Amino acid sequence: MTGDLLTILFNAMTWSMATFLVASGLTIVFGILHVLNFSHGGFFMIGAYVAYTVLNYFGFEIPLYAYLGGALVAAVAMGVVGVGVDAVVFRRLQNVEGVYVLIATYALLLVCDGFVKLVWGLNYLSVSPPNGLLDAIFMGDAILPTFSLFVIGCGLVVFLLLEGVLNHTSVGRTLQAIAIDPWMARAVGIDVSAVYRATVVAGFALAGLAGGLLVANQSLSPELAHIYILQAFGVVIIGGMGSIRGAFVASIFLGFVEAVSATYLPNYPGVLFFATIALVLVIRPQGLLGKEATA
Amino acid sequence: MSITTVRPLSFFLSLAALLVVALLLPHFANRGIIFLAGIVAINIVFGIAFNFAFAKAGVLSFGHAMFFAVGAYATGYMTINQDWMPFLLILLVAVSAGALLAIVTALLALRRAGGVSFAVITLALGALIHVIITKTTVLGRNDGLAGIARPPLDLGVVSIPLGVGDNYYYFLIVTCALAVLLMWGLWSNRFGRSLQAVKSDPARADFLGIDVDAKRLQAFTISGTMAALSGALFAPWAQIVSPEVALWTQSTMPVLFALLGGSAFFLGPAVGAILFGFLDYGTRTMVGVSDLLVGGLLLAVVLAVPGGILGMLSTLWNRFGGRRNNGATPVATSEVHQ
Repeated sequence: MTGDLLTILFNAMTWSMATFLVASGLTIVFGILHVLNFSHGGFFMIGAYVAYTVLNYFGFEIPLYAYLGGALVAAVAMGVVGVGVDAVVFRRLQNVEGVYVLIATYALLLVCDGFVKLVWGLNYLSVSPPNGLLDAIFMGDAILPTFSLFVIGCGLVVFLLLEGVLNHTSVGRTLQAIAIDPWMARAVGIDVSAVYRATVVAGFALAGLAGGLLVANQSLSPELAHIYILQAFGVVIIGGMGSIRGAFVASIFLGFVEAVSATYLPNYPGVLFFATIALVLVIRPQGLLGKEATA
Repeated sequence: MSITTVRPLSFFLSLAALLVVALLLPHFANRGIIFLAGIVAINIVFGIAFNFAFAKAGVLSFGHAMFFAVGAYATGYMTINQDWMPFLLILLVAVSAGALLAIVTALLALRRAGGVSFAVITLALGALIHVIITKTTVLGRNDGLAGIARPPLDLGVVSIPLGVGDNYYYFLIVTCALAVLLMWGLWSNRFGRSLQAVKSDPARADFLGIDVDAKRLQAFTISGTMAALSGALFAPWAQIVSPEVALWTQSTMPVLFALLGGSAFFLGPAVGAILFGFLDYGTRTMVGVSDLLVGGLLLAVVLAVPGGILGMLSTLWNRFGGRRNNGATPVATSEVHQ
């Protein structure tokens, strides 16, 4: 029984932190630009494929530094793509109605899908976890793979870093000011469009980083974007749209929902998850965690 | 803007032209093209149904696949397992199931949430329906329903075997045309104009005595019902229904049709669906290219031509026409919009 509970707890945390890694960039872009970015999943997926290509040079024996390096390369690559996408797409969406923005970012996701299919093909690809993270820890009946512990660690580190930057630096306070009132921020001399650009680039880099860190967490296929973006959407929405702390709490909440449903309703994966999201949205459209803090 | 102007003549001429082409097609096209034409006709109804809620009442749904899937699966299930039922009754039940789902969705979510949040709720509900379908044994789980028959159409006096030759194709085209006609009526009458008011300015519409929530619910229900009809017509046409019809990628198809063709125009989604049919046919063997092309096109439309193809044509037309009858019309139009 304790093994069961431990397994649920552990699976919940792994799912939560993997989803939080993807949702963090989505949350930041939503918090500052108020754009719900469908294509985030697409760039996360491209990030994972870029890391896959890098790690391919190491064969089956991937040192940990190479794995982290691959994630870094993916992050930088997606950050650079972010500069271009911001100039071509996001910049022009500032005065467009919300629903059209949603549709435009969906179009961008389709472009990512097509790109991945053209470059890497339709087959399932996989990367094994790096050396040192291949075994598991046994605690009673529970089996805890060390790679999952690594994913949990990554999620916590990214959360703490983002929290630190947003709440304890002048950059973070500037971002919060813009999120609350861009007009006023402009009036006091903040270069709002430069901050918008930096936000998009940071969001994209986070997508690439998540892709690189999670590349060994599941197999790679052009479906990857769709799987993660729905989970990340759930997190961002339940977390009260745009708050990093909210997204963190929401990923843990949804992680438990997912782990409980995987244990007790193994034949119906996802039912409890989507039912929970729909229910929460119906009861509280502004998200579980309200609108206390933005970004 | 043609969203307020109703031009019955141009609508009826366009519909008649489409109908003539569709009905003559079996005489000179091969099986593949005829099948594609049937799919395009279904997509036209699906697209216009979506656009009815989106452009007319300002309700964006990212989960319209659930209505399409309910219609398709209900029809498929009944033609396979309840073959005593006359086909028209099957269609009626399937469409009613879609209507019921639309009413429940609207009652649950539409009053509390609008805009992007409603779109995301429908996305989640659509995903839920998809998961339920893939886990339900009577619906074939991940394999879907195969071998769906085309039952005879019993009209009382005569019974037409829809399984023979191109009979089902003709039935499909005529039913789609009737559905389009019905939606056009609702789009351009007093009811449609009240939806227009609700979309443009909910507060003012409320002040003028229009029940905003009720209008939105009605628009969404009509939209969901018609989407279910398109799904119901699809099942016997493809003769196979797989869970992909419930996937959210299916939900985005009508969004694409509407925006591509021009969502402000009643026939915009029809233009989009036809164009998409050509694109899909042209790129069917190239993996990835179709996604790139469709995505790129949609992006270009939203960024550069927000009015879609019909919007662009209408702007060009006005520019040419404006030179000749410079005067009354533009002023009158702007008056209406004030």
